[in-house]
Amino acid sequence: MDKIILGRYLPGDSLLYHLDPRGKFLLTFYFVGIVFLANNGASYAFLLAFVIFAVYLSKINFGFFIKGLRPVFWLILFTVALQLLFTPSNNPIWHWGIFTFSKDGLVIAGYIFMRFVLIIFISTLLTLTTTPIEISDSIESILKPLKKVNFPVTQVALMLSIALRFVPLLVDETTKIMDAQRARGVDFGEGGLIKRIKSFVPILIPLFVSSFSIAYDLAIAMESRGYKDGEGRSKYRVLKWEKRDTLTILFMLGLTVILLFLRSY
Amino acid sequence: MEKIISIKNLTYTYPDSKTPAINDLSLDIYKNEWLSIVGKNGSGKSTLTKLIDGLIEADSGTIVIDGEVINEENIWDARTKIGIIFQNPDHQFVGATVEDDVAFGLENQGMPREQMVKEIDRALDLVKMSDFKTRDPQSLSGGQKQRVAIAGVLATKPQIVIMDESTSMLDPDGRKKVLDLVQKLRQEQDLTIISITHDIEETELSQRIVVINDGKIVQAGTPSSIYDIGPHLTKFGLEEPFSSQLVQTLRNSVKLPEGYLNEEELKEQLWKLHSSM
Amino acid sequence: MEITFEHVTHSYNVNSPTASLGLDDVSMTIKDKKFTAIVGQTGSGKSTLVRHINALLKPTSGTILVGDRKITSETNNKNLKSLRKNIGMVFQFPESQLFEDTVQKDIMFGPMNFGASAREAKAAAKKMIKLVGLDESYLEKSPFDLSGGQMRRVAIAGVLASDPETIILDEPTAGLDPVGRFEIMNLFKNLQLKGKTIILITHNMDDVANFADEMAVIHSGKLVATGLPKDVFNQQDLLKEDLLSLPKSAEFARELSSQGFHFDKLPITITALGKEIKQQLGD
Repeated sequence: MDKIILGRYLPGDSLLYHLDPRGKFLLTFYFVGIVFLANNGASYAFLLAFVIFAVYLSKINFGFFIKGLRPVFWLILFTVALQLLFTPSNNPIWHWGIFTFSKDGLVIAGYIFMRFVLIIFISTLLTLTTTPIEISDSIESILKPLKKVNFPVTQVALMLSIALRFVPLLVDETTKIMDAQRARGVDFGEGGLIKRIKSFVPILIPLFVSSFSIAYDLAIAMESRGYKDGEGRSKYRVLKWEKRDTLTILFMLGLTVILLFLRSY
Repeated sequence: MEKIISIKNLTYTYPDSKTPAINDLSLDIYKNEWLSIVGKNGSGKSTLTKLIDGLIEADSGTIVIDGEVINEENIWDARTKIGIIFQNPDHQFVGATVEDDVAFGLENQGMPREQMVKEIDRALDLVKMSDFKTRDPQSLSGGQKQRVAIAGVLATKPQIVIMDESTSMLDPDGRKKVLDLVQKLRQEQDLTIISITHDIEETELSQRIVVINDGKIVQAGTPSSIYDIGPHLTKFGLEEPFSSQLVQTLRNSVKLPEGYLNEEELKEQLWKLHSSM
Repeated sequence: MEITFEHVTHSYNVNSPTASLGLDDVSMTIKDKKFTAIVGQTGSGKSTLVRHINALLKPTSGTILVGDRKITSETNNKNLKSLRKNIGMVFQFPESQLFEDTVQKDIMFGPMNFGASAREAKAAAKKMIKLVGLDESYLEKSPFDLSGGQMRRVAIAGVLASDPETIILDEPTAGLDPVGRFEIMNLFKNLQLKGKTIILITHNMDDVANFADEMAVIHSGKLVATGLPKDVFNQQDLLKEDLLSLPKSAEFARELSSQGFHFDKLPITITALGKEIKQQLGD
């Protein structure tokens, strides 16, 4: 559980930590979008340079980002292999049955690989520098217009923040239950598929039971502290948009313009 | 003495049960007292807490809190006068950080932010957790989480604090810190403390102990009058106090006065006997 | 089975900025058929220590010998069943491990995993439910319909059902009322007297004084003391540095000694304390 870096926050202190989470959240999506504009070596190199610059600004150890690639490593490998072997070409280097290996395939596979790296790096950057609660705050703030159509934005946001709050607790609980069942002779990595799936029942049921008991206790505790239906509540957490946030947006727009110049048409 | 809670002929039966969990129970609780409610598991102690806070509704009987008979309309007002610290520190921590958790009750009241900032600082200062303001619950010990829970309750300025076995999951150090804190706050903030407990040391801090069995009060009195029954305390889900156990091993050969002696009194007696040798 | 730790170190999250040392060069022996208490503050490494005995955790360096079985960082995750069968482990709040629809099935779960036949497991369930102080009628009930205290007993029965030689207890009585606590502690003491090795993690120094033959004190992942409870509780340096608190009797004796009374060694149980007081009062 400790090895997964994707979606984890790492306490730290740098410009990227202090940017408004709404800005960071939207710009991350924006960046993922413009990655698809790149279509030649120069534009990919430019985006890569930008990402490396952002990583440098975050003051986070580069190793963390490499680790972020690990859980999706096979997916990347599979996609890249697919491109390498199945890109149709007029002058293949090597050809066998349905498989084609060509210079074009190699280039496209390289681009796909770059896309993965860029997207994973930038989204890892967002989660490493933004607490889950800040992300949930951003979502609430971005969804605010939906209040007009009676969408319960504040309730959903509270729900989301409570869910995030209880993830680490449930992870601990899972580890503990797994240990308890291993001590009672369960072997999670043994036997055929059916046996393996079955071996998770002794974890899932206790986990459900304890989730329900947490939910029940929490509901009672919230009610005793005066939580009614989410209406008429004030808010303690506030997000503050600063000049540097506006500057970051402008910087990203500038980046887009350069990218549009670099790409080939 | 001024009454803060007055319970009359209260009865409650859980929907799936035949026998009442609370059976025609009457009890007056006075302002600024520390009252311990003890009893075996399943005796109805925790049900009583939930009834007082209106989290479940009684079948019959009345509860008067701070002069007002509780009904469906005024229960939310009554709740602002009562704060509850529950048993499991992890199951009542709502916020993502310490300050957010303390804020929860204030947000529910719709308090303006500037005022909240002040109240949160005040409450965290009272429980000595100001240094932990931006920490997340995962990085706190059980005792620290309970102190945050107390701050969350204090922020809304209640008159009554109910501790529903709130120290039972803590280690001795955490338990001691929480109890010292509650003792201090009771005096400084003029609070009424109702503590539901199995911990004999916790009951020693209270002025009055009420023993509940099968949903009824079977005994009530000062700690020393309750402790006087010695080994029979186990029937009420309590352990016999240390001093009382020691007195029993000494009684047949050492001359000690009748009745319950607390540790200080026992020490005095033994010193007196030693010096007169 | 004798259990020996040889220079055992365990670090969490190796090669990451959040790395932390759980155990730091621990060497100790847990004697066969004895009742050993392990004490230390929350987070001191007690739970990390005992999880090495049945290889739920493996050492970063060092060796653990469980009988003739050797556990090192290289130990394979396969074939651990024969080891785990002989080491029962009651976790903190063990009721959270219950999952079957009847108490009987839940108690049978462990033995069946370790290769017992259904008949043997059923017989074990019958025996264990009585041992933990519940009657046979509970076997057909759902564990989720029981009270917290009863669930605790069922969970303990489920661990004991595999008939382990060594039983590890991580604060088995936390949150129980005094009567329940007393009954459960006596249950384990009786199992020891019948030939089991018991290892108890606890914060309750009176339980250490009343039940344990040996004790070990852990602080910040290091072993700071081992020995007989009556000796360890008299090590002044541990008390001075706040690494250990005293059982009530010893604390009371210490207070008495401020006027008139004198104790060469602080008595740690009420019986011992009473005897000393009587003697000093010239009885």
